[in-house]
Amino acid sequence: MKLYVKAVSSYRGHLDGSEIKKELKTKYKLDTRRQDTFIHLAIYGAQLLKDKVEISSSDELYITSGVGNIDVLQKTNKYVYEEKEFIKPFDFINMLGNTTSYYVANSLGLKDKNTFQISNNFTFINTLISVFASLNLSQNEAIIGSVDLCTNPNEVIKRVLGLDEDAEVTSSVNYQKLSLSSSGAIAEVEFDTKIYSLQEVQELIKNSDLKVMTSPRCKGLDSLKDSEYFETMPSYYLNKTIQEKEKMLYIDCFEDSYKIIKIIALA
Amino acid sequence: MHSINILDYTLRSSQGNTLETLQSIKNIDINISYKEVSTLNDAVEIPYYLFSDKVEDDANEIKEAIKKLVETITIKLTPQQRAKTALIIGTSLIDKNIIDSIESSVYEYKKKPYASSKKSIDSFANEISKELELNPFTMTISTACTSSINAVLEARNLINSGVVEYAIVVGVEIFSQMMSDGFSSMKLLSTDIQRPFDVARDGLVLGEAIAAVLVGKDSSKWSLRGGYSNCNSLNITSVSSSGEEYAEVMDKAMSFAKVTAQDITMLKAHATSTLTNDMSEINAIKKVFASDVTFSALKPYVGHTLGACGVLELAMIMSCIDDGFIPQTLNHKDSIIKEYTPLQEHKACSCGIFMLNYFGFGGNNTSVIIQKESK
Repeated sequence: MKLYVKAVSSYRGHLDGSEIKKELKTKYKLDTRRQDTFIHLAIYGAQLLKDKVEISSSDELYITSGVGNIDVLQKTNKYVYEEKEFIKPFDFINMLGNTTSYYVANSLGLKDKNTFQISNNFTFINTLISVFASLNLSQNEAIIGSVDLCTNPNEVIKRVLGLDEDAEVTSSVNYQKLSLSSSGAIAEVEFDTKIYSLQEVQELIKNSDLKVMTSPRCKGLDSLKDSEYFETMPSYYLNKTIQEKEKMLYIDCFEDSYKIIKIIALA
Repeated sequence: MHSINILDYTLRSSQGNTLETLQSIKNIDINISYKEVSTLNDAVEIPYYLFSDKVEDDANEIKEAIKKLVETITIKLTPQQRAKTALIIGTSLIDKNIIDSIESSVYEYKKKPYASSKKSIDSFANEISKELELNPFTMTISTACTSSINAVLEARNLINSGVVEYAIVVGVEIFSQMMSDGFSSMKLLSTDIQRPFDVARDGLVLGEAIAAVLVGKDSSKWSLRGGYSNCNSLNITSVSSSGEEYAEVMDKAMSFAKVTAQDITMLKAHATSTLTNDMSEINAIKKVFASDVTFSALKPYVGHTLGACGVLELAMIMSCIDDGFIPQTLNHKDSIIKEYTPLQEHKACSCGIFMLNYFGFGGNNTSVIIQKESK
């Protein structure tokens, strides 16, 4: 399966939520009320993409995340269960996965398919598969937003994601506009449903002349790894490969299962 | 490319398994329980459609309950078919694993030694898929009340583009105190009964359910002819009272399925019995259909099962039609629009083309068209 990338946007860092909110209000003139940091991060990434490419109202929107809106759950848990207050209606609504995709769609002027999906440990790669299957039918273009927010204390997210206690984690948002058509593409990304074994991956690396990056989770592989972790990391490396005009195999893994995407920058 | 066959279905509702639920609908013999929810001032008991055998809001219990239901479908598949079958879950469940992690990390008095294992909602599909030797492709979709019907449309896409040959799509919703309190905070819960499209309607009653369908290209009496899902609303919780957003999604679903309003044997309405949703939906129905349209609502039988209602109500309709009738709408006396009254008595019907509506928070609107051949 192959998709062509028309544009990308990335933001990664130890987040100052108020700065993002300020940027949305002042630069993009967006209403940020009734939202929270996770939603602001998702919208911010979407606006960075909109700065670079024309968005059509028929573009399909897919928002994916390793954990989802952890911010609102942490906040609500505190005031409902610890302080015995009544749940606020907009915090309740923000807990629903597709609330984030609704606000993103609104900020981009999208009116068509809009989904929030997660997929055990390979959430970005499986979302690519989902996009490929849908575009084959609709002939539209699609936007994937991959959003991971790291809250304080970061122990929460590390517990949820199955990471070692000393793992480094960070927040990140990465978007791509994708198409089945190569016209105007800046990169192509190849992927499949296959789950690879460690031995198969080692063989692939040995025989590949592409740069190889692996997820920090891939302990059995002696390849380049990021020092920090977030669940939708393949989305970040797709964008980084394009920005650096490279060709790369990105290997994601969980326990003894491996998945691979091949990224080739065209421009 | 827009169609696919529905090869099997199974469900577990507050009324029991597939057959027991069918009998309770047929005989209009409905069991309902009560649960306490918080309001701004107090805690009150509200009606709630609960499973007779309790499933705790716990990762292991929910996973085992889903697996038990999915097994009733996979048992009929050969090992070769299983290897080509994706598992997709649609749910709006709040992830208890995250709550547990928050409580173990943030509050000193609840602090637990560091332990981390991936056991979130999105793990269920992966673990069940492994245990039942299905295809490793799994996915979990969370688009509020359209979650599991959108999962059916995803399955259709995956099969028609050749990614997998079959898919089991599961809708799941289990009682959650946070979810119930959330609906209470929005003043959307009835303290009595659901009255779809009735002038006296005062809210929804929540329910638990797990339901599954198997879809693929093998021949079947049931097919999904087409469907359409979009994100279009007035605000985060509602569309225009004119229902134009709902009408658009119904029209497009028919267009993709290559049918017209005259071809529709019956419409299953979303019908939450809330003031705004029912008003918008009845106005949309009026825009799309003539006043002689047969339409009905299923939520008074099983409650509003949120992310599960997509697959649950799909399975319920197929079950009723397979038994030869369209179920009547319960608790309806006085229509919002006099000319558009939902079905008041069970009506004989064993085949036809059926439209099923689902609308959710976040502007997520979905309509699908299914068909049962006459032979």
